[in-house]
Amino acid sequence: MATLAPPEQKAPPRPVRRKGVTEQQRPLWLLTPGGLLMTVVIVLPLILALWISLIDLDQYTLRRWVEAPFIGLNNYVESFSSGLLNSIWISVSFAVISTVATVPIGIAAALVTQNKYRGRGLVRAVFLIPYVLPSFVVASVWRTMLQPDGIVNAWLSKVGIDGGLWLSGPRSYWTLILVEIWAAWPFIYLMALAALQSVDHEVHEASAVDGATWWPKLRRVILPYLRGPVLLACLLATLNHINNFTLPFVLFGAPAPEDVNVMPMIVYVTSFQSLRFGLSAAMAVLSLILIAIPLFIYLRAVRLDVHDEGGRK
Amino acid sequence: MSTTASSEATRLLPRWMLATLTAVLVALVLVPVLYILLASLNSDVGVASGEFWPSSWSLDSYTRIWTTADLSTGILNSLIVCAFTAVASAVLGTMTAYVLVRYTFFGRLTILRGLVGLQSIPGTLMLLPVFVLFSSAGNYLGVTVIGTRWGLFIAYLTFALPFSTWVMVTYLRGLPRELEEAARTDGASTMVILWRIIFPLSLPAIVVSGIFAFLLGWNDVLFASVLTRPETHTAAVALQIVGSSQEGGALPVYSQIMAASLICAAPVVILYLAFQRYLVGGLTAGGVK
Repeated sequence: MATLAPPEQKAPPRPVRRKGVTEQQRPLWLLTPGGLLMTVVIVLPLILALWISLIDLDQYTLRRWVEAPFIGLNNYVESFSSGLLNSIWISVSFAVISTVATVPIGIAAALVTQNKYRGRGLVRAVFLIPYVLPSFVVASVWRTMLQPDGIVNAWLSKVGIDGGLWLSGPRSYWTLILVEIWAAWPFIYLMALAALQSVDHEVHEASAVDGATWWPKLRRVILPYLRGPVLLACLLATLNHINNFTLPFVLFGAPAPEDVNVMPMIVYVTSFQSLRFGLSAAMAVLSLILIAIPLFIYLRAVRLDVHDEGGRK
Repeated sequence: MSTTASSEATRLLPRWMLATLTAVLVALVLVPVLYILLASLNSDVGVASGEFWPSSWSLDSYTRIWTTADLSTGILNSLIVCAFTAVASAVLGTMTAYVLVRYTFFGRLTILRGLVGLQSIPGTLMLLPVFVLFSSAGNYLGVTVIGTRWGLFIAYLTFALPFSTWVMVTYLRGLPRELEEAARTDGASTMVILWRIIFPLSLPAIVVSGIFAFLLGWNDVLFASVLTRPETHTAAVALQIVGSSQEGGALPVYSQIMAASLICAAPVVILYLAFQRYLVGGLTAGGVK
């Protein structure tokens, strides 16, 4: 990951400084505090995580983990027989369904706030609320609303539907998706709105002159402008759904019901409740590999550098 | 006149549809939000029996939650840890980002990629080695790290530092070089340029990167649930513990949980309202959620 601190950064010699503006006096020493810290808190743990996944580390060997026995890829083999595949399936399907469902909501929200009207500022602020609320608050609130005797079932029974259990059993999977959609759609909305506002005014006017009615205009003229940014947003949103630990953890508690045992949950429970640290590290590394695919595409698509301006975006 | 004409041209949906969609979306957001407010003013039993409109109104939940959950300790811990995280990542992030934007050197692109990539690394992957490192500091060096506030602070830097740095990179690369170059020909040193030119010009961005670092910590449950003990619990963990105690037929405290939710959400909402203009740009950079 972040390979930092090239060796030549150690303090450029003082006397050179008088020379004026040259490439020689790059103040690379400014990188030292941030770089050192990132090496210690990020690079080191990542390497350690890899190492832990290769040793047999549990609560007994934790005290002297340096001497824990090296067992090669055994942890990886064991993860597949410990329900990891099931968790991968749950995580990926949950993330994809959530992303797909938030796209129309987000685009609709962007379309209705793109035009100026009185009170638009207020509506925009309201749209951000679900996204701004901390995940643990969102989860606590929905957990309360979805109690067997809670408000959701009270309302459902008024229209003659028996609500049943939301927080356990097979339905918990859909509960998780519904709450995630409620909390995450404003992200798509923000990205779609930004794209919508970069559409030239002439485009709007030209299509208005053509006398196109709203649907063809929207489909043929406006939506193509949104495709790129929204796809990028989808990629990022999917990654965020896959990595979401707080929502399932606070909604269902740990260990989670079988049907919402997403990857972050199984890694967490394996390490901090079953105390099988080695096994859990192997699972975490495997889930990183899974995430690396969309992440790689995303990294290719975003503009990283100052110097390739005007290139891709 | 001309503004109505032009907004007529940019209006993408028929009026009736605009109105319907807006109403549906606003209701989708506001009904749960209204429910939190009403439930926090209800009694615990009222919320547990599924009332939307309270049968008895009181502010009891707001006073009783402080003894039901150790919320005051939690909020104090959260504030301390997150404030330190915010300041440290904003300062170090600005320095690092300045060099990354203004100078080219070996490994620069790798660092930039790493900064973006790190925001999508699962927290569970980072937590495990951090936990092992911290616990071995106890075993091998005799220093207790797990359960302390500064241990949590270091753990939060794993996410806050790259994120703050990335926010500063995106801001600083939009800043024109001319001022710095003029100052440099006048013989100003890098520190002087950083302090006298970059710092005042990018103050809003520095504040935003600090706020994001603060929120990363405030919203975290994962790290805090493992790396704290009861005296160092954060607000999020305090709330999560009360919430999960509701299983197994304990006396319901739902109304109090709603009150606590509002209290925990308040600082976040206030920060967003105060800095809305600046923060929205950073939201789309990902990371926070």
